[in-house]
Amino acid sequence: MYGWIWRHLPGNAWVRAVISLVLVLAVVYVLFQYVFPWAEPLLPFNDVTVDGQ
Amino acid sequence: MAVSVFGELLITAGLVLGLFVVYSLWWTNVIADREANKQGDRVRDRWAGGPGNIDTKDGIGFLHVPAMGGGEVLVKEGTSHKVLNDGVAGYYKDPIKSALPEDKEGNFTLAAHRDGHGAKFHKIDKIKKGDAIIYESRDKWYVYKVYATLPETSKYNVKVLKPIPKESGAKKPGRYITLTTCTPVYTSNYRYVVWGELERIEKVDNKRTPPAELR
Repeated sequence: MYGWIWRHLPGNAWVRAVISLVLVLAVVYVLFQYVFPWAEPLLPFNDVTVDGQ
Repeated sequence: MAVSVFGELLITAGLVLGLFVVYSLWWTNVIADREANKQGDRVRDRWAGGPGNIDTKDGIGFLHVPAMGGGEVLVKEGTSHKVLNDGVAGYYKDPIKSALPEDKEGNFTLAAHRDGHGAKFHKIDKIKKGDAIIYESRDKWYVYKVYATLPETSKYNVKVLKPIPKESGAKKPGRYITLTTCTPVYTSNYRYVVWGELERIEKVDNKRTPPAELR
């Protein structure tokens, strides 16, 4: 999978490394900004109130 | 080939879970502290010059608990995730409506996060009997003394929020404060509860000199 991506990136090794880094950062951004905030309320780690439910 | 793709997916899943921990325990604190400071500054600005009405949108006051370390916690209305995730303490609207400190009697009931999102009640286990909990409003310091703690209770135990919280040993109407959060740390299996009773009220002077407990 990662090998496949690496082989399909353009340019020499340096250019590929830079593009890879940008891709990784983009994935982390999407996770922190959208995926984790969505997932968090669904997980039972952060309920702090007493309630009847 | 298929095996190596599967292996890479497993590694990826592990990395994502690791990132989620980083997100929960660090990034949400960064975001929440920033938001809480912003909202707290707005409240202080309004107190410094704005109209005298309490505005429940930005917050009604600040909680100071010396036993939990320095710093103030903004207090706002409601205990939904949306409110608490801004790194504030919220007062209950349901299942049992909280009293406010200025009310003649009742229970001022608050909740805040133990971990992540500001983790404002992280050190709730450091609070001991006799410690002070101070609530600062625009013109008064309300000094409460802790008289009971409950290190572990069910999340269904809504009775701890009652105007006279009997489980704490309280028998007659009074001016109580109740802090709730989750326990043990990093999970939400149980609730941790701390009760205090109002000891005295001090007027805020023009230098906002804090009460002796905070000096």
